[in-house]
Amino acid sequence: MSKLKLSGVSKAYGATLALRRGDLEVEAGEVHVLIGSNGSGKSTLCKIAAGSVRPDAGEITLDGRPVHISGPQGARALGIGIFYQELSLAAHRTVEENICLTNLPLKAGLFIDRQALSARAARYIALFDGVAGDGFAADATVGDLRADQRQLVEIMKALATEAPILIFDEPTSALDSAQVERFFDILRGLKAEGRAMVFISHRMDEIFSIGDRVTVIRDGETVATSRIADTDQATVIGQMVGEPPARAAQAAPAASAAEEAAGEPVLSVRGLTGPGYSDISFEVRRGEIVGFGGLHGQGQSSVLRAIFGAHPVSAGEVTLKGERLDARSPRAAILHGAAYVSGDRSRDGIIQGRPIIENLTPIHYLRQRLVLARPAALREKARPAVEALHTRFAGYSHPINSLSGGNQQKIVIARWLIDRPDVLLLDDPTKGVDLSAKNDLFSLIRKLAAEGLGIVLYSSEDAELLANADRILVFNGGQVTRELAGDERTRFNLYRAAYEAA
Amino acid sequence: MNVGALVRQPLVVALALIVVLLAFGEWLSPGFAAPQQILRLLIVAALLGIVAAGQNLVILGGREGIDLSVGGVVSLSAIVAGNLMSGADSGIPLAILGCVATGALFGLFNGLGVTLLRIPPLVMTLGMLGVLQGLLVVIRQGIPSGRAAPALSQFVSQPFLLGLPGIIWLWIAIGVVMALLLTRTVFGHRVYAIGSNEHAAYMAGVPVRLIRIAIFVLSGVFAAIAGICLLGYSGSSFANVGEQYMLPSIIAVVFGGTPLSGGKGGYTGTMAGAVLLTILQSILTTVHIDESGRQMVFGATLILLMFFYGRGKAMRA
Amino acid sequence: MAGAARTSSGGFRRWMERYPFLPALLILAVLLALNGFYQPRSVSLVGITGLVKTYLALMLLAVAQTYVVYAGDIDLSVGAIVSLVNCVIVVLMQYMGGTAFSALGAIGVGLAVGLACGLVNGLLVATFRLQAIVATFATSIFFTGIALYILPVAGLPAPAAFWRTYGGRFLDIPFVFYVAVVLAVILWAMARTRLVMRLLAVGDDAQRAFQSGLPVTAIRVRGYVMTGLFSALAAFCVTGDTASGDPLVGGKMTLYSVAAVVLGGTALSGGYGTVVGSVFGALIIGLINSLVYFVGTPSEWQNLVQGLAILIALMAGVVVGRRARA
Repeated sequence: MSKLKLSGVSKAYGATLALRRGDLEVEAGEVHVLIGSNGSGKSTLCKIAAGSVRPDAGEITLDGRPVHISGPQGARALGIGIFYQELSLAAHRTVEENICLTNLPLKAGLFIDRQALSARAARYIALFDGVAGDGFAADATVGDLRADQRQLVEIMKALATEAPILIFDEPTSALDSAQVERFFDILRGLKAEGRAMVFISHRMDEIFSIGDRVTVIRDGETVATSRIADTDQATVIGQMVGEPPARAAQAAPAASAAEEAAGEPVLSVRGLTGPGYSDISFEVRRGEIVGFGGLHGQGQSSVLRAIFGAHPVSAGEVTLKGERLDARSPRAAILHGAAYVSGDRSRDGIIQGRPIIENLTPIHYLRQRLVLARPAALREKARPAVEALHTRFAGYSHPINSLSGGNQQKIVIARWLIDRPDVLLLDDPTKGVDLSAKNDLFSLIRKLAAEGLGIVLYSSEDAELLANADRILVFNGGQVTRELAGDERTRFNLYRAAYEAA
Repeated sequence: MNVGALVRQPLVVALALIVVLLAFGEWLSPGFAAPQQILRLLIVAALLGIVAAGQNLVILGGREGIDLSVGGVVSLSAIVAGNLMSGADSGIPLAILGCVATGALFGLFNGLGVTLLRIPPLVMTLGMLGVLQGLLVVIRQGIPSGRAAPALSQFVSQPFLLGLPGIIWLWIAIGVVMALLLTRTVFGHRVYAIGSNEHAAYMAGVPVRLIRIAIFVLSGVFAAIAGICLLGYSGSSFANVGEQYMLPSIIAVVFGGTPLSGGKGGYTGTMAGAVLLTILQSILTTVHIDESGRQMVFGATLILLMFFYGRGKAMRA
Repeated sequence: MAGAARTSSGGFRRWMERYPFLPALLILAVLLALNGFYQPRSVSLVGITGLVKTYLALMLLAVAQTYVVYAGDIDLSVGAIVSLVNCVIVVLMQYMGGTAFSALGAIGVGLAVGLACGLVNGLLVATFRLQAIVATFATSIFFTGIALYILPVAGLPAPAAFWRTYGGRFLDIPFVFYVAVVLAVILWAMARTRLVMRLLAVGDDAQRAFQSGLPVTAIRVRGYVMTGLFSALAAFCVTGDTASGDPLVGGKMTLYSVAAVVLGGTALSGGYGTVVGSVFGALIIGLINSLVYFVGTPSEWQNLVQGLAILIALMAGVVVGRRARA
């Protein structure tokens, strides 16, 4: 009998279907891996189990008994602990306070028992002794810690629940290899104790080193569960992307014949250095798509944002169309002809709750220095851009939130197409976007390149890079460690370059 | 649109409540909803509504936008206007100019503090309110209280066009201008943009600081205009007349369907909110209960009405 | 370079993170020195007693406000709660004959009234999710209405036993100092409660606190209840200081309580701050007022100078606090 079982759970946010159908069974004493591309519904599934998201449908059973999870507090009472991908820490509290926050030890039923709190927290802090890094201490304020250290605190906080069922939603994304090693030792210990664990990671090697079973989730649906021993990386990747494994090993098609025909350089970056990246140099020609690859968070986004004036630069120079561009704000970059599309739509892209037309026009306002906004004229201006992306929506006055994630992102991209930029910086633009929208996006991107735009594409999905980029710069630790061009652009080379010394 | 969606439209709610309250007032005290009475109510509502126009912009602009200093600016403007015109029509243009400049100046200070020094608006405008109140004391003791010019008093209370006094026309004009400003200008779209997602707006090249400063300047200007009208309404300026507008201007905005979190809503609703609030107060002065009962009923009704408007999000999605 | 700057300022940052009221303490010390310079008697025992006696109410009200601000909320009805409790206890003591026993009874009832008011605010803002600023403004009108019902006009005197005790001495030490000491002990203990830690966690990020399994709504309600209780304590001091009942006495204090909280280095956005800072903030307001008087500012200019000084202190506090932590 499985410890935790979710059957047929689903969740929609307005028009966006976050989870179509989730089935997951976790046994006591196993590490059950959940894998799928960004936005495939993994986190939603986990949050439903942890009580922080209310499912629209489906059933949850614990030890075979159907249960109702009333909220995070209820989930904890039922013995479910979770590591949240976006972390659940209070920035102004200390490490030990955060570890014990949900279950503070008390004196006289009213006051915090500081000694007990420190003692309890110390047990979990000790687990990562020697790998937690400089400045990590029980009384350090969490907001002052590095990203990897904060992630360790969230791990400790999840462990401190001592729950029989533990869910880890991407707990290793910012950890170094020693920290991951230690974490896996801990997980093996918990496995031996008979705990049931769900583990999410994008790193294949981790999955195969710690997992017992793997469930693949694609476009909001759990598609397959298999024992790790009975499967291999290629099969899992095939299940994730929904295509036979053989293709993953092939060299990518020659993405564009335009390579030779590429025009003059439109963007050149020399020795660009700043927080999170150093000494980045590259050039983008008109008609070219330059890919940024590598593991997530190796400085790719920071470089793109720095070029766009939204991230600090300490040294180096950026030249756009032969002119120095030292953009100190996105506004300056936009006026020089740069465009930037972020994968983090809700933070950087959409203007929530506002009509579609207002989401389409801000760049046009700026570049044309408009004062009046005449809806009819603006709609005329926006129409070609919207149609080029096959965007479906009921009307320009409908709120952007009424669209699905993919269509929202199309609107955000379309805002850059009314007045053509010279360089398009794409920062993981298809995060959480459904497959058909992805296809529309990439066919447009290739078309734009053919029309003479210089494009930089960072994607966390290797398949996208391989299929679309003419050259791929592989990032590792804030630097470009490898450049793949022509026939070198294979999934194998990309993986190897990304994992080298990571 | 079905009934449920209709009930969730703040403007519809406010208008329906206005009708209900008018009917209730008429039932309580026949003659309450007579045309002359309604006109009187609208004049009072216009004063509040004009202050609320600026408050509306500040709140729409988000980031906990709120302007507690409007009441102080209203009082100051009424006094400045009274002294500059001192009962003579010829002084009106100078008075208007002086008041608008004064309001704009204090709005500019607020805007600079909020943007350049990143002081939370509540703190900045609260501090500014203290300064304004101090300034009022200085002015009150230094110079004799001014009087409204006859033309101004007439403008506020006497029929001007189609039987409506000038201030009603002014309010309608402000309503039209605000509606156009918010829906048909780049400035308006940018106000909404910074109010609903400041970071996305910044990434899309919106000059966030400039827009926010402009919002606070406009808030000061609207409060100043209201101050001039208030002088015309009361005839002479006296200290702290404007204080009564500070929090009601915020409530009018909220009852008009603009949540304090900003980024959505509009001025048409706020106008209805101002009328609603004025009628409510008027009913309470009409019925023969003492001050304590009036306040209790007023407070309780406000809370009751708030249940119709944008409540916060539930923790669990 | 950034790294080097970080380590050199690291000690100070840590201090600021733990003691956010340091800038307030500095301003307070400067103001005390200036007060002493312009009017030596103001820093004597008598002068300090007078200051504490007058501003104890604002200190308590600032503390009251702090508990909701911890969680990122705000309460604009604290002044009205002061008025209501003031009227309730004065009328009650009068009714019960003004004995010492009646004073004790009145204090008990006063605390219950404060608690009830806080509960109402908490339910409206946290449970029913109304917007805190407007909802507590509405309740402030309602509470003022009740105060007016209980005591329609200001001026009913409090029994002599009450205000003589408040203004008097025990063993040659002014009574208000005992109150201050008891208050200090209570605040010290409060700072160690689970409730305060949880309020701060909610203020840090309510969604994350919820996801961690904290009962966010119940915690916020309790925050409002604490605010109501401390507002009642403030009302006792007001009553002791003014020796009478006034249904509008607290109205002006609400915004000062918010200003004191901000002056004390507590973030209005929640998650960060101390009640001690708020006490300092209230004293800063008091000392600014007296300093403006002592330096001989003409009476009509005093309010303006006070207003400007408070505005500058508010702005400086916010900017310095952020610099120190950034």
